[in-house]
Amino acid sequence: MSNLLVDVRELNLWYGKYKALDNINTSFTAGKCVVICGPSGSGKSSLLRCVNRLEEFQEGDVLFEGQSLRECTNIASLRSEIGMVFQHFELYPHMSILDNITLAPRYAKKKSKPDAEAHAYVLMERVGITDQALKYPAELSGGQQQRAAIARALALEPKLMLFDEPTSALDPEMIVEVLRVMRDLAMEGMAMLVVTHEMGFAREVSDEIIFMDEGKIIERKNTEDFFSNPNSKRVQDFLDRILVKI
Amino acid sequence: MALNYDFEWGLLLENPHKEWIIEGLAHTVGLSLTAWVIALIIGILIGTIRMTQSPLLRFIGTAYVEFFRNIPLLVQLFIWFFVFPLMLPNDLMFAWNRLPHVPLITALLALSLFTAARVAEHIRAGISSIPKGQFDAARSSGLTQVQMYRHVIIPYAFRVMIPTITSEFLTVFKNSALTLTIGVAEITGAAKAIEAWSFHGIEAYTVASVTYMTTTAIVVLFMSWLEHRLRIPGLIARK
Ligand SMILES: Nc1ncnc2c1ncn2[C@@H]1O[C@H](COP(=O)(O)OP(=O)(O)OP(=O)(O)O)[C@@H](O)[C@H]1O
Ligand SMILES: [Mg+2]
Repeated sequence: MSNLLVDVRELNLWYGKYKALDNINTSFTAGKCVVICGPSGSGKSSLLRCVNRLEEFQEGDVLFEGQSLRECTNIASLRSEIGMVFQHFELYPHMSILDNITLAPRYAKKKSKPDAEAHAYVLMERVGITDQALKYPAELSGGQQQRAAIARALALEPKLMLFDEPTSALDPEMIVEVLRVMRDLAMEGMAMLVVTHEMGFAREVSDEIIFMDEGKIIERKNTEDFFSNPNSKRVQDFLDRILVKI
Repeated sequence: MALNYDFEWGLLLENPHKEWIIEGLAHTVGLSLTAWVIALIIGILIGTIRMTQSPLLRFIGTAYVEFFRNIPLLVQLFIWFFVFPLMLPNDLMFAWNRLPHVPLITALLALSLFTAARVAEHIRAGISSIPKGQFDAARSSGLTQVQMYRHVIIPYAFRVMIPTITSEFLTVFKNSALTLTIGVAEITGAAKAIEAWSFHGIEAYTVASVTYMTTTAIVVLFMSWLEHRLRIPGLIARK
């Protein structure tokens, strides 16, 4: 119980009149990697974005380490405990990779520049982009950019990492290098929430899998069970479709 | 008549003409540059608050832009020059009138605030053109609104907007000629004075035109140098 990290309670989210999340109840513990999958428009990104309140939900609550996001008055400081990685990397194009990585540590976490840079080099080493430190995002390959974005998120020394389809915009040969970094991260015990269609990754790396459809969690199982005996027809159909695609 | 015109270019180097020209040059260039810089600062501020989530700030921003953009500059000059001092409390009004160079200060005020409204509109368009994911990235990393705009959004928007900002200088620079109407001795005013004094209008207005053209050329060169320096490596140069 002590390692409960995120607690989602009766969460409802609307975009205008459209209900994107429908009474979500779930929780995530420290040290686990959970994959979220489901068809397009099922609310995967929305759920992820509620966990750091990028999306302002209307009903229910999300507790991060027991702290209510709804009542949180200093959301910026809470967000700096959670790293996020996006489908399209979203590196800041006008800054070098090094500056991309040190920006939030310096201004959100008030680290000194030398400290932030020293840590940035450690992280770049870890994701294998040390040579790119002084280059600008547009000078890197997609895979390098995404690894830089992962380093940027890790620079927050986060307690949780959110990944929203981190490999969907990448060519196949680059997907592997990004997934490898993510796998190592999971092995080291980083808590991770990963929206992805990479079922190979899910199978090999994740501890649990959540399947969503129409704003609801249809099924949540540990990884092995999910693949061996999914109990809902919808999951079965989804798996058939997505595994055929691969 | 033009055929009988006696060109006397040397006249321009004689006093009082020379003094007028030097003073006019200094006023035109100084006034425009200062107004431009002030307009950039205020414009970035107003343009940015129009993009925030606060309804009050957005209202203030919109009100500012609509007010200053929709009244002709000439009218604004007259308002600042004739009406504004009257609206001050008595002791402030006397203090205002005792200021040295009231026309110049008024001109600076009017030009800056007018141009700031235009800059604010450009900034708003610039910020709207920034991918939403940039905001997500900045917010999710724990930056506050102010930090996000200061380090991510505005520097990004600024680079996109350098050509627009340059053309705003050309506008404020040419608009500065209007300030002769409230008695600022800028270069067009100087040309007018020389023409009245010596009947050598062609030479006088040539000097004014050359002033506008060379200053413009210098600023355009400087800005393209700046654009090149701030160019984001790896991105294909925008036309
Ligand atoms: N900003 C928004 N405004 C309006 N509707 C939105 C917005 N964001 C998402 N939606 C809608 O909410 C629903 C859930 O969106 P969400 O992005 O969470 O789905 P998803 O599962 O991540 O889908 P995908 O696999 O396509 O990324 C979709 O129908 C989408 O069209
Ligand atoms: Mg999505």
